[in-house]
Amino acid sequence: MSIFHGFNINASALTAQRLRMDVTSANIANAHTTRATINEDGTVEPYRRRMVVLQSNGNDFKNYLQRARFGTQQGNNGVRATRIIEDQEPFKPVYDPAHPDADETGYVYYPNVDPLKEMVDMVSATRSYEANVTALNASKDMLLKALEIGR
Amino acid sequence: MYKTTKIRIRNWGDFRMKLFGQTIHTLERALNYSALRNETISNNIANVDTPNYKSKDVVFKDMLHDAMKNNLQAKRTNERHLPFTSANDAFQVITRKNTAYSHNGNNVDIDKEMSNSAQNQIYYRSMVDRLNGKFNTLQTVIRGGR
Repeated sequence: MSIFHGFNINASALTAQRLRMDVTSANIANAHTTRATINEDGTVEPYRRRMVVLQSNGNDFKNYLQRARFGTQQGNNGVRATRIIEDQEPFKPVYDPAHPDADETGYVYYPNVDPLKEMVDMVSATRSYEANVTALNASKDMLLKALEIGR
Repeated sequence: MYKTTKIRIRNWGDFRMKLFGQTIHTLERALNYSALRNETISNNIANVDTPNYKSKDVVFKDMLHDAMKNNLQAKRTNERHLPFTSANDAFQVITRKNTAYSHNGNNVDIDKEMSNSAQNQIYYRSMVDRLNGKFNTLQTVIRGGR
């Protein structure tokens, strides 16, 4: 725990939000991808929407051990993207027999990406990023002001 | 007949030490560290898109602490023997290889680097501030408190 602890917390959040933004971009880019994964038997599967799982950084084994042994806790250690999971919502069927990936009934399965959700996620990630930049600048200004104490 | 009296200062090092103390020396090392760290961070940011580039960092503080304690000295019978801790390089550049950020093998985290850069600037400024404070103190002494 140094005086720059706040910096590291906000930096971890910036990284996490940037990753959310990247994943959202990937989702939007692949909103119509019908061949994201090719199985071993040659069948293709559409793209599945991805989501980032964020977790508080203090939830690791080291922290729990320390808490059990010394009763101290290194709380609020920022945030960490632990996994990227796939949305298990069903794919959207569209009737289009001329499409090369249509099945025998003439339906093409499009990704379960909802542009509306993606836009909401995008704005959310942008705003969180901005909030963290603001917080980081605030800590920076505080430290710079601290240098002026007694001047 | 004159009788000359020689005043010999046994060790100039000790004399200097008492006037300036260890502070300026320590601050100088801290500034060196900070300058090197700035260089490293700039290098990381410049290589943010270089495939297989691994981000670098300078480690210093733990080693400074060890160097300050100075309780374990190597017995050197020859000057070419390696000391346990050397005063000149109390910090070293390390490469972070245990993280992954993008698919091309690059692990530069631009947000982390920018925040490290801000952190380093403040650190540098505070060290300069302390150094100035030290010099001002000495100047006050030289002026006789006036």
